[in-house]
Amino acid sequence: MADDQRLRDLMREYQSGRFDAFDDIYASLAPTLRRYLLPQARDAVKADDLVQETFLQIHRARHTFDPAYPLLPWAVAIARHVWLMDRRNQSRRPWAPDDVTEIELPVRAEAAVLAERDAVRRALGQIAPARRAAVIQHHVLGFSFREIASRTRIAETAAKLRSSRGIAELRAILKGQGSK
Amino acid sequence: MPAALRAQLAEDFAPVRTLASPWRRALLVLPLALVALLAAPVYFDVRPGHARLGWLGVWGLSLAQFAIGFLMVVAAMRESVPGRSWSRRAIAAWSAVPIAAVTAITLWSWYASPIGIRAGWWTLAGMCFAGSAATALPVVALSAILSARAYPTRPAIAGALLGAGSGLCADAGWRVFCHFSEPAHVLSAHLAAVLCSAAIGALAAVCVSRPGTRVR
Repeated sequence: MADDQRLRDLMREYQSGRFDAFDDIYASLAPTLRRYLLPQARDAVKADDLVQETFLQIHRARHTFDPAYPLLPWAVAIARHVWLMDRRNQSRRPWAPDDVTEIELPVRAEAAVLAERDAVRRALGQIAPARRAAVIQHHVLGFSFREIASRTRIAETAAKLRSSRGIAELRAILKGQGSK
Repeated sequence: MPAALRAQLAEDFAPVRTLASPWRRALLVLPLALVALLAAPVYFDVRPGHARLGWLGVWGLSLAQFAIGFLMVVAAMRESVPGRSWSRRAIAAWSAVPIAAVTAITLWSWYASPIGIRAGWWTLAGMCFAGSAATALPVVALSAILSARAYPTRPAIAGALLGAGSGLCADAGWRVFCHFSEPAHVLSAHLAAVLCSAAIGALAAVCVSRPGTRVR
């Protein structure tokens, strides 16, 4: 109860312009939202992505929170919406091939010293599907983040986030392979 | 909080004003809904059987229908706020409201002043359907924009509620003008106009609430 009141106060502060209040809100809500989203997504990486997207949407919808009501049901309703939208988008249009061995990767000559084309393909196959799709759409197929966002019906910021995380994951995998 | 997310949030961070309560947001629709109520009787005339129905039978019942419609708009505004969605039972009850209201008012009017259609049944039905539905459109549009300013997690339901509510408000005025109380006419043309408004409302709310087009 006291925690709920603290969260409401934090959200009120965030609404009125104290940006740092969101750090505490994130710390308090992220584990609960992840616990809620994990059984729905059935994939830890996907659940993490959905949690990030939920916080982006919480930020966008912050003006709709009424401090007279508890914060958690409001946040969970947004998380559920994010999950449903994601599920609907995935069922409507598969937005990147799962079989990455078929993709023609434009590895630059200077990049060839860093990783072989096949190694990049293999590494791509290991990263989370949502992130892989964002990486392929942006870095291989050349779509802008705005185009990816509109095609997949996610926020542009979420598309950027997925792509940057995908690249980071790819880099970590390739680095791991290189050191072996 | 991850640094990437923090950077994204900081990009467009600014203080915001908290959304007004569903009642207060619905009150913004009220003037336009009142115009829709008064449009047909002021522009055309009051129904010829008004003497037999009396003031309560004509305006009293229409105001009751208008009040029910307005309540549905309030319900839609509440539905649009995350975490304050209606339960399935409540949605079922809200869906039954326009049908029950129009049916009850129609039967009472027919009982008090039975005026049937002798000729041109389809033409008159078409006129009442089109007139009632068209009068509701501005109210539906404004309500859909106000609904989208919240964050409807089920925009189709919120839109159907606001559409049906706006349809009831507009048809309350059209009822004051319509010359006929025949249940077959009212329950087809007038009720269909309310249901059509609900469908348009659902479509409008879904379109306006799409990511990228969401009204801030």
